[in-house]
Amino acid sequence: MDPEVLEDWARKLRGLMTLAGLLFAILLLRLFHLQITTADDYAKESEDNRITQKRLKAPRGLILDRDGEVIARNRAAYSIQLIRGSRESDAQAIAALEEATGESVKLGKRGRERTVRLKRDVSFPTVAIVEERLRDEWPLDVEIEPQRFYPFGALTSHLIGYLGEKQDDLTGPGGRPYIAGDYVGQTGLERVYEDSLRGWDGVGYLEVDVRERVIKEHPFPDRERAPRPGRDLKLTIDVDIQLAAVNALPDSLAGSVVALDARNGAILALVSHPSFDPNVFVSYGSQAERQRLIQDPRKPMLNRGIQGGYPPGSTLKMIASVAALESGVTDTLSTFAACAGSLQVGDVVFRCLNRDGHGELNLLEATEVSCNIYFNHLAQILGIEAWHDYAARFGFGAPTGVDLEPSELSGILPDRRYHQERDGWVTGHLMNLVIGQGAMLVTPLQMARYVAALGNGGYLVTPHLQGDAPPPVRIEGVSDATLDIVRRSMYRVVYGDHGTGKRAQIEGILLAGKSGTAQGPRADDDAWFVSFAPYDEPEIAVAILIEGGGGGGTHAAPVARAVMEAYFLDQARHGAMAVDLDGRHRGGS
Amino acid sequence: MRRELDLGLLVAVAMLVTFGVTMVYSASGSDVWRSQGLYAVISVFVAVAIVYVPEKLFYDLAYPLYGLGMLSLVVVLVWGTGNPARWLAIGSLRLQPAEFAKIATIMAIARFLGDQSSERVSGPRAIVLAVLLAVLPMGLVARQPDLGTAVSFGAALIPMLYWAGMRPLHVFFLTAPMLSVVFSFEPLWQDQAPIVFALFIILSSVIIQLLLARLWVTLTLLGVNLSAGLVTTYLWANFLRGYQKARIMTFLNPESDALGSGWNIIQSKIAIGSGGPTGKGFLQGTQSKYEFLPAAHTDFIFSVIGEELGFVGSIFVLSLFLFVIWRCLYVGTVANNRFASLLAVGLGSMLAFHVFVNVGMTIGVMPVTGLPLPFLSYGGSSLLTNCLAVGLLLHIYAHRHEY
Ligand SMILES: [Zn+2]
Repeated sequence: MDPEVLEDWARKLRGLMTLAGLLFAILLLRLFHLQITTADDYAKESEDNRITQKRLKAPRGLILDRDGEVIARNRAAYSIQLIRGSRESDAQAIAALEEATGESVKLGKRGRERTVRLKRDVSFPTVAIVEERLRDEWPLDVEIEPQRFYPFGALTSHLIGYLGEKQDDLTGPGGRPYIAGDYVGQTGLERVYEDSLRGWDGVGYLEVDVRERVIKEHPFPDRERAPRPGRDLKLTIDVDIQLAAVNALPDSLAGSVVALDARNGAILALVSHPSFDPNVFVSYGSQAERQRLIQDPRKPMLNRGIQGGYPPGSTLKMIASVAALESGVTDTLSTFAACAGSLQVGDVVFRCLNRDGHGELNLLEATEVSCNIYFNHLAQILGIEAWHDYAARFGFGAPTGVDLEPSELSGILPDRRYHQERDGWVTGHLMNLVIGQGAMLVTPLQMARYVAALGNGGYLVTPHLQGDAPPPVRIEGVSDATLDIVRRSMYRVVYGDHGTGKRAQIEGILLAGKSGTAQGPRADDDAWFVSFAPYDEPEIAVAILIEGGGGGGTHAAPVARAVMEAYFLDQARHGAMAVDLDGRHRGGS
Repeated sequence: MRRELDLGLLVAVAMLVTFGVTMVYSASGSDVWRSQGLYAVISVFVAVAIVYVPEKLFYDLAYPLYGLGMLSLVVVLVWGTGNPARWLAIGSLRLQPAEFAKIATIMAIARFLGDQSSERVSGPRAIVLAVLLAVLPMGLVARQPDLGTAVSFGAALIPMLYWAGMRPLHVFFLTAPMLSVVFSFEPLWQDQAPIVFALFIILSSVIIQLLLARLWVTLTLLGVNLSAGLVTTYLWANFLRGYQKARIMTFLNPESDALGSGWNIIQSKIAIGSGGPTGKGFLQGTQSKYEFLPAAHTDFIFSVIGEELGFVGSIFVLSLFLFVIWRCLYVGTVANNRFASLLAVGLGSMLAFHVFVNVGMTIGVMPVTGLPLPFLSYGGSSLLTNCLAVGLLLHIYAHRHEY
C-alpha cells in the first residue's frame, strides 16, 4: 500500500486504541471498586444469599393435671410454603397448588421474607401431593411446626383457654419476639402463663440455593442455638373429677361446677357448660367454627364458674346464720315467730317454700327445711350492716384472686348505700338479700370458697390452679362455736328427716351442704347446691349451679354427689397420696 | 503454499476459547460444556482453515453473503423459534442468523467503503449508502426484538467510516445525536439517566472545543445533542401509555426482568464483588452454583469469572480482550487493500463493542441487553461467528504481502 495510507491507518489505529483504552479503563476502575474497595460488603451479601437463618420454634410447655394426665400438648402441623420469586412465578406456583389440591389459596401481603406460608396445618394428603408432585417443579415446600393440641377438647377448655394468631410482629417480655402468625394465649391458663409456657425459640442455619432448596444443613454449627421448650404447667385440676362433673350436669342446660380442696383452695374441677373445643382455635381453616362459637346465644365461650353472676338463693343463708350467732341475735335452741307460709312487711308479702308454713323453728331446723320466713325474721333484727359485714368477710363482692382470668367477676354484694343510690333503702331489701335474692350476685367460684370456709374452720382460701397454695386466712370475728352450729345445720340439710339435700348423700362418707333455688332472669329457677366433705375434716368443697335447673335439692345435689364420689374414688385409687398439706388449720373444726 | 499465521492473535483467542469452555463447565454444572468444547474445536479449526481460502473470494462474496444474511433475518422473523424468536432450527441445529449477519454486513460495508476513495467517503452520498447498508440489518434485528445486537451494527459502522476517510468532525456530528438519544433514554439508565446524559453533553462539548477551538461548532453540537436528548425524554414521558412503555421495556430487554427489577444486575454485582482480589476458587462460586445468578453460563459468564477468580481473573480476561482488539486493528494497518483493512477494523470494533457492553452489564455500568461475551459465553452460533471473524483476520494477516 501507499506509505501515506499506511501512515494514515497507523494514526487512526492510535486514535481507536485510545478510545478502546478509555472504555476499558472504565471497566477496570469499576472492577477495582467492586472487587477491592467494597469486596467485603458483597462477600456479606453473597453469604446472606445462600445462608438462611431459620427460627426453630420452641414447643409450648405441656399442661398436666394433678395426676400427670396431659391436658395440653403439641402435635406436628404441616404448612405449605412458597419460596418467593417474581409475581408471575408466585402466581403460577399458587395456581399449580390450587389445581393439585382443589382448594383455593390466598397469598397474603408481600413482605420482605423470602418464604411465605400459603396454607397452614394442612391434611396429610395435601402434604403428600406437595412432597411428591409439586416440590420439584414449583417453588413450594413443606414446613413442620409444633402446634397445640388439647386431647380432652371441650372438657378443659375454660381452664386452658385458647390460643390466637398474632397479626403483627412485636417484641414480647424478655426480648423474645413474636412473629406474625405465632400463636399466643388469648384466655385462661394459656394467657396467664404465656411467658413460661411459650419457651425460647432457637436459631438454625441452612445453606440454600435460590429456590431455598437445602444444599447443606448446619453450615455453622457453633452459631446455632437449640430451642428451649416452654416450662410444663402442673395443675391442681383432676380430669377425672372434671369429667364426672360434666357428665353429671344436664346436657341441655347451662351450668357450672367448681370443686376446691377445702383446705387450701386448690381447684380440683372447674366446669362451665356448654363448652367448646379449643382445638378449633389452632386448627387452620376452622374460621367458620370459631365465628359460630363467638355468636352462639348459649355463650359457650363464657367461663360461668368465674364470669357468671347469679343470685345464690338459699345457699347464702349461712351468712345470716353466722352473723346472727356472732351478734347474739339467736342461738341454737331459740325459735322465732312461727312460719305461716308468708310474711307481710309493709305492702310486700314474703313467701316460704312451704305455703302451709313450717311452724316454729330454731336455726338448725330452719336451715334443714330452708325456711325463708325464719331468715326474714332474723334479718329484721340483724340489720343490713351486720349482715353485709359478714358476707364481705366470706369473700362476696370481691374477686377471689384465682390465677386464671383478669376478667374474673366480683359479683355484687349490696349494702345500704347501694340501694340508697338506686331505689332507696327499705328493710325489705335485706329480707331478700339474706335468702340470696334481690340484687345479690355471686360466681360459682365465690360460692365454693364460701362453703369451704364454713367447712374448714373459718379459713378463707385463695382458689388457684397451680403452684404453691397461698396461705389461707382465718376469717376474723367468726368463732369456732358459731361455725360448729352452722356446720351442724348444713349436716341436717343432707341427713335430717326434712332435709332438702338428701340426694347429695354418699355411701360411707359424711358430708354437709345447702341447696338453693334462686329466681334469676330466666323463666325457671336456677338450681344451686354447695357442700363440703368429709363432714369432720373437709377435703373437698363443691358449688353446683344449673341455670334454669329448678329445685336445687332435686337437681343440683345429685351433681354435687357425683363430683364428690369421683373425688373420693380418685383418693382411694391413689391411696397414700393424701398428703397432709394443711396441718396449720385442720384442728380448727 | 505456506502462510504466515498471526500467532499472537491465534494464541490469545485459543486461550480465551479454552478458558470459556472451562468457565462454562463451572457455571453450568451440567454437560453443556461438552457441546461448547466441540464447537470450540470446530470453530478454531474453521478459523485456521479460512487462512487458505483464495485472496479475492471474500471480496467477491461480500454482497451475495450480505443478501443471504438479510434473507435469513427475514426468515427468522417469520419462522424463528425461541422466545424471543432469534433462532432458526435446521434439524437439531439451532442457529442465530443475526450472528452471521453481523459478519456479512461488515463485509458488505467494507467492500462498499473500500471501493470508494478516501475523498469520496468524506462526501454525503457514500456515507448515506454505507449507513443504509447498516440500517437494514439493524431494523430487522430490532424487530426480533434484540436491541443490543441491532446497536452493535452501528458500533461497527462508525469506526469503519472513520477509517475509510470520513472526517472526524463529521463522525462526531453523526454519532453525537444518536448517543444523546441513547444516553437520555430513561428506561436504559433508570434514575441515573440525567447524570449520564449531562456527563455525555459536557464531555462531547469539551472534546469538540479542544479539538477544533471553534465556538460555533461546539455550540451547534451542544444544541443538537440537547434537543435530541430532550425530545427523547419528552416523548418518553408524555406520549406513551403504560402498556406502550412496558412493550418498549420488553423490547429493550426481554430477558432481564424474570425475577423482578434489577435482580440480574444485583446478583451479578454480588457475584463479582464477593470474588474479591483472588476469587472464591474455581468451581467454588456460590452465586452461580446456587443459581442466584441467572444465565450464569451465557450472558453472565464474566460474573462467574469475577466470583471464582477475583480481580486477578477479571484483569487477565480483560487484558486478553484488549490484546485481541489491538491485534484486530493492527491487522487493519498492515492489510494489502482497503477492503481487507476496513474488514479488520469493522470486526475489531464489533468485538470491542460486545466486550464493553457485556462486561459493563455484569458490573452495572451498562444496561442489560443480552449481548453475549465473545469467545466465553455459552452458545455455538456466537462462538462460531467470532472464530469466523478471527479466521478472516488471520487471512488478512497471512495475505498482507500479496498483490
Ligand atoms: Zn317456712
